[in-house]
Amino acid sequence: MRQMYAVRSLFVMIGLVFAGLAVIVQMIRIQNSEQAKIFISQGDRYSGEFATIYPERGEIYDRGGHLLAGNRTVYEVGVSLPDMTDPEKLASVLGTYLGLSYDEVYNKLTDSPESWQYVVIQDYVGAETVSSIQELMRQMEDADDSSLSGLGFKPHFQRSYPENSLASNVLGFVTRDGRGYFGIEEKYNDLLAGNPVQVWVPRDPNKAAEIPKVPNGTTLVLTLNRDLQAKVETILDQALMNYGAENGAIIVMDPRNGEILAMATTPRLNLNNYTDYFTLYDNGSQYNRAIGMAYEAGSVVKVLTMAAALDTGTVTPGTTYIDTGSIVVGGINIQNWNRDSWGQQDMIGCLQHSLNVCLAWVATQMGPQTFYGYMERFGLGHPTGIDLAGEAMGRLKVPGDSDWYNVDLGTNAFGQGVTVTPLQMMMAVSAIANDGRMVTPHVLYSMLRDGHQYNVPSQYAGSPISAETARTLNEMLAISLEQESSLALLPGYRLVGKTGTAQIPTDFGYDSTHTNVSFIGWGPADDPQFMIYVWLQKPSASIWSSETAAPVFAQVAEETVIMLNIPPDVVRNQLAITP
Amino acid sequence: MQGQAVQIIHAYKQAPWRVQRQWVAAFLLTVIGVAMIAALYLDVTARAAVAGREIQELRFEITTIQRANADLETRLANLTSTAEMERRALELGYRPVKPGELDYIAVSGFVPPEPAILQAAEDNTPHSQTIPAEYTQSLLEWVDERVKSGGSH
Repeated sequence: MRQMYAVRSLFVMIGLVFAGLAVIVQMIRIQNSEQAKIFISQGDRYSGEFATIYPERGEIYDRGGHLLAGNRTVYEVGVSLPDMTDPEKLASVLGTYLGLSYDEVYNKLTDSPESWQYVVIQDYVGAETVSSIQELMRQMEDADDSSLSGLGFKPHFQRSYPENSLASNVLGFVTRDGRGYFGIEEKYNDLLAGNPVQVWVPRDPNKAAEIPKVPNGTTLVLTLNRDLQAKVETILDQALMNYGAENGAIIVMDPRNGEILAMATTPRLNLNNYTDYFTLYDNGSQYNRAIGMAYEAGSVVKVLTMAAALDTGTVTPGTTYIDTGSIVVGGINIQNWNRDSWGQQDMIGCLQHSLNVCLAWVATQMGPQTFYGYMERFGLGHPTGIDLAGEAMGRLKVPGDSDWYNVDLGTNAFGQGVTVTPLQMMMAVSAIANDGRMVTPHVLYSMLRDGHQYNVPSQYAGSPISAETARTLNEMLAISLEQESSLALLPGYRLVGKTGTAQIPTDFGYDSTHTNVSFIGWGPADDPQFMIYVWLQKPSASIWSSETAAPVFAQVAEETVIMLNIPPDVVRNQLAITP
Repeated sequence: MQGQAVQIIHAYKQAPWRVQRQWVAAFLLTVIGVAMIAALYLDVTARAAVAGREIQELRFEITTIQRANADLETRLANLTSTAEMERRALELGYRPVKPGELDYIAVSGFVPPEPAILQAAEDNTPHSQTIPAEYTQSLLEWVDERVKSGGSH
């Protein structure tokens, strides 16, 4: 009996072993079959998902640490169609909260292709609206009402500009596709945007740690002074109103290092509503007139002509010229702005009374080669290289160009027939305020990335004139401004400056009724710390720069000395000798 | 007498029940060993899964906090914008200052403080973005890797 059980047990054991072996063999076979590879790859496909991680776009600050461009959370509101139970209720709620029509939402929910799992109802929905909807969802869930099931919110960042239109011409804007347009946003788009990373995000919690950390975009600190920028914009807007000008631009720069402290233009765009761009501007050059629009600046160019003449020794401050009211250059008669003759004048008088005839004579004494050589060295006809998108480079005709005539030597000497941007003029004239060294204007002060700070060094664009020439001309211009009893003067401060009134060229010659008025000035005269350029287009109250742009310069200078803590000259000199 | 004792010991060693018990003991030891390894594996895997889930949650929390930070920063900037600050200042009775109303005092050695944003933060970027495999691999994955690599490093 016992032996029989043993035999039976042996058979059962052998059977079980065979069955077990068969299972194992089958397992191995299945695991290594061709079909298994397909199943494994299918399984892998669902073990995670590819996700593109977009870094947070870098912020933009002014030099005082005030946020000019940041990010805020907005939501994509969508519905998971398999989880949706009540499209009518969803359409009603979302239509009400998102400002959409019931039919629009209902059609999206019910007319979607069958293969769709998820449908987006609206993107870029504000946090307040989403909070209200989420509160309603909570209340409905508490009441066991699941008619909003399937509704979901995906957060993401949107560019936000807390100052709205302030410095909009400098900042530029970012569209919904994340691309920067104009200004800093375009120029430094790659740095600000950072590097998106595509990663495989595993659903397996064991592998969660493998998700890489994506560093944010680079944060930029600008040279702009937010408060000065706001003041300058206010002054510009008032000037347009007071003088009936169409548009304008004002730049404030530190002539020692090229840092742009303020750059105001009109019209300005509320960057949070960048779609208004098309209603405000006809073309891109209008977005930032200070760098994008070249014009004939008129008599401010006389500063460069005189600088060249002094530097070559063609004239000295005491050189006299008898102004008869006209001069013939290249067979064309050139006259003064008031068509009068001013008699004997020294070079300070020529600048003080802004005599076209005198400066045309000075240019002819230098000759075209010398004159245009200096204008090239001053950077006319070339972009300044400022770190803003959309810079124009103006036009300087030179001998040999098909449209250059001999008369151009005379007219170019007083700013006619040569086009420049306001910034180009500032860069050129910075040589006079900075002991002959010309600065490259820039807007970026510093970059911050991964906890590191990179300060942007100042760059110099050559020395077109000697330091001695610069100091001589600086003094000549200061004297001429004082003697003119100009509206550009600021009590307590000795300033340097030059007016510029220019007729506007048209297809039929120069417009006799409208002008572009400009003023370039800097101070304090003995230690220039700021340089201001004012440009008003077609002022109707007066066509003269001395009556329009000059007082605007004084207003800006007044605000600038306060903002930059520059004491009046007497106080500054006392402080300088205080041990 | 001695030979008898040797025979008894020999018989005892060859007793069928004793051989059977040895087999059972060996089987049980194997089962216990396998069970211990399985339990250890289960414990490690479970703890790794919990840790992984916590990491996932912390990452989500980090993202949420980063978003909240950015929102708060933007909100603060809105509240301290030039237009808003000017409005509040005027409401409080302040007016813009004129150059003649300012007094200047020389303070030797004074250097204006830089804004907080320019006081460079310490570098807190992780130097290694990849956690070594020893901390993330499961036992089976490790065995699989060793088998595939033929046991070499």
